[in-house]
Amino acid sequence: MSVQRDARILNRIGLGLWTVRSMAQWPRHPVGGFSELVDDALLAQELGFHSIWSAEHRIWYDGWCPAPLLALAHVAGATDRLRLGTAVLLASQHDPISLARTAATLDRVSGGRLDLGIGLGHRDAEFDTLGLRRDRRGRMMDRALELMPRVWAGEYGDAPPVQPGGPAIWMGGMAPRVLERAVAGNYSLLLPQTLSAGRIGAVIEDVRARGWSATAGAMRDLWIEDDPGRAAEMRRRLEQGFTEEAGWWVLQGRRAFDAPELLDRQLHRVSDAALIGSADEVAEGLRALLHAGVEFLCLRINIDIADHSELREQMRRVAAELPPRLADAPVATGAPG
Amino acid sequence: MRFLLEAPADGDLDETTAVARAAHSNGLDGVLIRQSRWSPDPLVTVAALAARVAEIRIAAELELGEQHPFEVAENVSVTDLTTGGRLILVARPAGSLQDYAEALDLLRTALTPRPFRFEGSRWQVPANLPENEFGQERLVRLTPAPAQPVLPVWGAGAGRGPALERGLGHLADEDDPPDALGTAHERAATVLGPAAIGAPRARRERLADGTEALVARLLAGREEFGQDWAVVAGGVDEAAVIGRQVRPRVQLEHLHPSLIALWEPAAR
Repeated sequence: MSVQRDARILNRIGLGLWTVRSMAQWPRHPVGGFSELVDDALLAQELGFHSIWSAEHRIWYDGWCPAPLLALAHVAGATDRLRLGTAVLLASQHDPISLARTAATLDRVSGGRLDLGIGLGHRDAEFDTLGLRRDRRGRMMDRALELMPRVWAGEYGDAPPVQPGGPAIWMGGMAPRVLERAVAGNYSLLLPQTLSAGRIGAVIEDVRARGWSATAGAMRDLWIEDDPGRAAEMRRRLEQGFTEEAGWWVLQGRRAFDAPELLDRQLHRVSDAALIGSADEVAEGLRALLHAGVEFLCLRINIDIADHSELREQMRRVAAELPPRLADAPVATGAPG
Repeated sequence: MRFLLEAPADGDLDETTAVARAAHSNGLDGVLIRQSRWSPDPLVTVAALAARVAEIRIAAELELGEQHPFEVAENVSVTDLTTGGRLILVARPAGSLQDYAEALDLLRTALTPRPFRFEGSRWQVPANLPENEFGQERLVRLTPAPAQPVLPVWGAGAGRGPALERGLGHLADEDDPPDALGTAHERAATVLGPAAIGAPRARRERLADGTEALVARLLAGREEFGQDWAVVAGGVDEAAVIGRQVRPRVQLEHLHPSLIALWEPAAR
């Protein structure tokens, strides 16, 4: 294995998702959560990762950070090379011009390091809090995609962002309309962590055939643990964390907590796709994604199944143990985005 | 008298950091970041600066009354957490004074740790739109709450009036009439009584006319209408002048002339 190849794959790996929550199982001080975020980002940068990623939800008991761009702005002040991503920011829940300006300011403050991953959001209560109709979220997204580049081009009097044309846009999701938008704007993709390598390969082949030439990114829940008993315990924690988050979702017109069979099906999709096991097993799962055409991996190691010291140890293990095992996998050249 | 240094609006993060560090090392209370075409969202600069400079207050001046106030409140709350509770929010009307006042009330309601319902003429939270079938909450809560139990919100420009009526701080602009702080504050004090105690009375000041002129203006402002904050535009050099030559002279009601004379060599 060559060192050069090792370094190349780390530049194709981002870590996620920092949401700065204080959950019932993992409570923490709300200010301390942002200090930990900076510490973790500095470690990710030191280890050579491409990026760290945040996400967005609002009005939830655990304080899930509703303003990921401001959390990332805090990280920008402490780092100088690490890229900063959202996977995803709910673009359909914001005033598009204000959002474009916040993103442009972060782009400037960070020296052009923002990867703006955007998605629709799905909780009715979030839309309703902001006075928006959930059924118009697609329209809101299209409006954001139309207006943001115009703000960045200076039409509203703003100075130009550092990245030419504005922050790099990534589309989260895999619905037909999401893929259509990605093809239309040639945006990079962040495909969901529940998709199999086979499905991902088919999606990438489909959009490539339609002329899309941006970066194919995929999310994946991941945890390296050699001991089978301990790995099973981490999987149990993952399932509990997911149940807690998804129980409040609406599935086929019902709260997931009130539709246990639907929640269970969703839970199995997540758990089955999660790569939890020895470094060899985890690397095999990732190799399948890379062979399917994935060019960028957002590895969700921060999935609410570990305390802070366990998380940092896991970051070190991913950086040390995966690159040698992926040295023979196909890796695109050049920077993702 | 407290001092905020207003950093140049066109500076990059390194330049703004240098200004903030100079404010800190010269004993000033903090810096103010305003909205500009270079930094259209000053909260972003505040959150970044918070990772680089400890202890000082970081104030952000932004427009209020157009963007949804709940969305603004979320950004404000997260920014305050990144600073460890050092944020001061200075709000200026974006549109009508009526919208501004309503936005101010919704923002401050949202920044409490209570589930709430807000029924304004422009904004209703939650909206309870019939189309949001699963969004029919009676009350909602902004999470996470800011670090500060009561986040300082000041009104600026035309927004000073509504701020004063609410017992909040206010920031007069340099070109406001000389009694800008006084008459408005006296009116508010009449209405509010003891509720007006403690509301910061700030004015933008300039150093361009020299330190003597600034000291005289600050002493007059304090005497006439109780000014207790000064926001002075400047950079690293101005921080040293304010810290060494201005601030010491306006801390007490008066100083013995010999004490000031003793400082003269050091000040030069």
